[in-house]
Amino acid sequence: MKPAPFDYCRPSTVTEALEALNSTESSRVLAGGQSLIPAMNFRLTDVSLLVDIGNVAGLDAVACDPGGVTVGAAATQTQVLDHDGAASVVGGLRAALRHVGHLQIRNRGTVCGSLAHCDPLAELPAVALALEAELVLTSVAGERRVPAHDFFVADMTTCIEPGEIVSAVAFKRQDPSERSALLEVSNGGNVFPVGGVALRWASAGGTCAMARIAAFGVGSVAQRLVDAEDALVGTDLGPEAIAASVAAARNAVNPTGDMHADADYRRHLVGVLIERGLLEGEGP
Amino acid sequence: MIPSIDPHIRSGTRYVGRSVPRREDRGPLTGGSRYIADVRIAGMLEVVFVRSTEAHARIASVDTSQARALDGVEAVFTASDLAGVQSFPDHIDSIGPVRQRPLATDRVRYVGAPYAAVVATDRYVAEDAAALVAAGTEYEPLPTVADIQQALAPGAPKLYDDWDDNRSVDVVFHRPEVDRAFEEADHTFTATYLSQRQTGLPIETRGVAADPDGGMLTVWTSTQSPHMVRTTIASMLGVPEPRVRVIHPVIGGGFGVKTHIYPEEIVVPWIARRLGRPARWIEDRMESLLASVHARDQRHDVEVAYDGDGTIRAVRCTSILDLGSGEIFYPGTAPVFATNSCITGAYDLSTVQTRAVAVVTNKTPSGAYRGFGIPESTLVMERVIDQVARLTGTDRAELRRRMLLRPGQTPYVMHSGGRIDSGSHTESFERALEMAEPALRRARARHGGDPDVRVGVGYANFVEPTSPSYFRTTGHWGGGDAATVRVDPDGSVRVAIGLTAFGQGTETAAAQLAAAALGVSPSDVTVVLGDTERTPYGLGSWGSRGAMMVTGSVLLASERLMAKARTIAAHMLEAAETDVMLTDGAFHVAGSSQPSVDWAQVATAAWIRKVDLPDGMEEGLETSGYYHPEHLEHQPDDTGRFNSAASWSNGAHIGIVSVRISTGEVTIEDYIVVHDCGTLINPALVEGQIHGGVAQGIAGAMYEHFRYDSDTAYPRFASFMDYLVPTCAEVPSISVDHFESPAPEQPLGVKGCGEGGTVGPPAVVAGAVSDALSEWGVDLTECPVTPVSVRAAIRSAETAGAGASS
Repeated sequence: MKPAPFDYCRPSTVTEALEALNSTESSRVLAGGQSLIPAMNFRLTDVSLLVDIGNVAGLDAVACDPGGVTVGAAATQTQVLDHDGAASVVGGLRAALRHVGHLQIRNRGTVCGSLAHCDPLAELPAVALALEAELVLTSVAGERRVPAHDFFVADMTTCIEPGEIVSAVAFKRQDPSERSALLEVSNGGNVFPVGGVALRWASAGGTCAMARIAAFGVGSVAQRLVDAEDALVGTDLGPEAIAASVAAARNAVNPTGDMHADADYRRHLVGVLIERGLLEGEGP
Repeated sequence: MIPSIDPHIRSGTRYVGRSVPRREDRGPLTGGSRYIADVRIAGMLEVVFVRSTEAHARIASVDTSQARALDGVEAVFTASDLAGVQSFPDHIDSIGPVRQRPLATDRVRYVGAPYAAVVATDRYVAEDAAALVAAGTEYEPLPTVADIQQALAPGAPKLYDDWDDNRSVDVVFHRPEVDRAFEEADHTFTATYLSQRQTGLPIETRGVAADPDGGMLTVWTSTQSPHMVRTTIASMLGVPEPRVRVIHPVIGGGFGVKTHIYPEEIVVPWIARRLGRPARWIEDRMESLLASVHARDQRHDVEVAYDGDGTIRAVRCTSILDLGSGEIFYPGTAPVFATNSCITGAYDLSTVQTRAVAVVTNKTPSGAYRGFGIPESTLVMERVIDQVARLTGTDRAELRRRMLLRPGQTPYVMHSGGRIDSGSHTESFERALEMAEPALRRARARHGGDPDVRVGVGYANFVEPTSPSYFRTTGHWGGGDAATVRVDPDGSVRVAIGLTAFGQGTETAAAQLAAAALGVSPSDVTVVLGDTERTPYGLGSWGSRGAMMVTGSVLLASERLMAKARTIAAHMLEAAETDVMLTDGAFHVAGSSQPSVDWAQVATAAWIRKVDLPDGMEEGLETSGYYHPEHLEHQPDDTGRFNSAASWSNGAHIGIVSVRISTGEVTIEDYIVVHDCGTLINPALVEGQIHGGVAQGIAGAMYEHFRYDSDTAYPRFASFMDYLVPTCAEVPSISVDHFESPAPEQPLGVKGCGEGGTVGPPAVVAGAVSDALSEWGVDLTECPVTPVSVRAAIRSAETAGAGASS
């Protein structure tokens, strides 16, 4: 479990990082390294140059403003969890981060790194979908902003172009009336879940005004469940509405079976967790 | 023989029976311990093994030229280089010979089998070279055997061409009384129970370092049995045994995995000798999952004869163990015999007929793991009892009460010839029920309002054979162990034991015993172990034998030492030997504390001041004792029966679970253990063993499972992403209470407690979850119990129910 030989650099500016990234074919960005380093140690990933962005000034910022929270590429999950401002602005993010890995992983792992890695079992892509986050992609050509629902393409595949890095992710401020929840089931405490959902909704005068539902672990990539959302909006969130949403969710997902869970279980689970989440969700 | 110093200690010790603080903890807790990977020798080379990526194949060719050409590579060896090394011995005639070579020659039988070794200046280069060897290897794939069913199928591919089929052993002893019971019983049922493939998973993986310097071959290895490793290295490499020294540094867990003697323990010393340079290999985690023994992969086909009132009249059980490739020394067959021997647990049921089968498959060799077949047998028996209770409408606890061994029923001879010498089988269960009652009430109150949650309770009552014979397991070694006790001129005591220690607290216990026997403080006692040059020949630690062996051997050696010390003291005090007493470390004449001589004076006379010794007495104050337990038998009689363990501990486990119906998630709300391992030397050590054991038992009940692809026999695990290991977050709080039923025939009445914790949880969890889901009629017959398996059970019960009602 030692990696094959590779080159390594630790630039101090984004420009230098991009230059290094463009200098060779199989270069990779190193942020927290919680997925990349094991893959290299297993010799599953061919890397000729590691571009460590841990020393790039400003990239580890967690910035709060009235519009929301922007998390830099090198900011760790623990940094966001411990950031009081971020928590009060985007409560759904904090609720979700508690489920990511365990303490040691969150101390190293970054929010942007998990999004860029796009593991179908990871929580954060689904959270980004439910919170309608925007990814900031930077290249020598400049910056572009991509909504989460355009960013995640397939298993371990995003719309990042060669020469681009995820330099930040921006989460919009959650309205104080919003509620959010993240629920998942795993076969063991510290491992990837077999499936889960990220929820966010708001009610006004007893009527559901907005709902966002994203599922993970039940398909090749995190997925917004628009039909399940639509089944809730305009309702009183009563048993019938929830049942309709659950049915729509189970209909929309296309899980596969693996050694950790069969497809039927995963499909069933999505519905159970949506129902439970709507009953248990917490405010921002 | 039994040391006669025993009654003296029973009557007057200040140390035995007390939770004397452990002396082993400072190193591990402060990071100061020196593990195998911390062994540094100047000029040491790194070895990496190249392992098969095929489950079953002929090796057509291995091209090592590219690897050899790599900068930093010193050598690459394949099987032909080791032609002069003996094969691992096949000591047991009755099991299929595997003629294991240290490196696979022309055929590999599991993914992970070592067939080449790369030696380089550092591990990174060695792994680069190993990748080149792997790329230069041509295989001719052979058809694979992935599980028990495939192994036993007619016309199945054979792993060993000269065997009749894939059975390594198949032993049954016909019991006519069982046939009669089946004829007479009201009802019968059949069932199949499964235990899944797991491993002991020490936190510290294995590792070997070897130094050929100065005509002595010194080998550091993370083993539970250094003397056995020395004997095996000497015989396989053809080196005189006194020229081989085996040292185990601090060990980060063994759990049975490190009782076996592995190819790396032969090849690394061979490399060091061949190159004339020190060399080492450290197993990484991926290798550890593939190349350290697996265990517990058993199927049990059971027939039960019972009456309408719930009385179980007889059981027939065919236990089939998946051995993997079988290429491990000592062989991995013994646990299936232990399963069969102990299948009746703590219950009075002697009409049992068992058949033991072990089959080879294209998987990692299986072998020892803490519990050694008994978690498997306990799962079978407890599920059988629950099923009979259900079929006859009998209360589950009440049925167990009726079946348990009662006070006065010991010694009790089991169907297997095991002789349960003593115990508190009924009392332990009653006490556990008492402890469980408030816990059950709490759990019901906590979840009573949630329509999605059900609460259930599960039971296990088992016996734990301790200090077993190693002869049926290894075909070579027996069942005793040794201690050497010395008092140095300054009066300090040195105790050297053949046992090993990796967390149990054996050193603390040895110091307590020597202190008690010699009337000194434990802090005056230095304990030495884990080095064949400094300790007497011993078999090491496994089989819950440490407590009994350290007691017997230390007391025996101390008794002999005391006899000589008393003679010397009497001479110095000019008194009759029979009048001399030992109080607080000083010898004096009975009735008067002065004059006195202390241990330093006696030892100085013995070692240095010949003028103070009685005429004609030999110098020195060092004695040894080799303790072999009374009534321990090594071979079965012609009906297959024998008492394979020196004593029998017992335990009652009760677990209370909550089950979330919608997701199948199981939470252990409370876990209760009442345990009886005879006289407690140190209650805190026993508690520690139980807590750790239960944690590992829960790992087997709910999490850990090595899976293989059934078409290719390819492992579906490579890391802890796929092999799920519980942490402190998943292990519940455990309540423990003790009974002490002394082993009547063993020194101080000590039995042993190393494995009991692991034995109960699979049966308890499967039983408790089935109980929680009783309204669906769920009867779980295999582990691990996972959210998915629970949902599947509910779903299939609902489907069956719907089918029945329509």
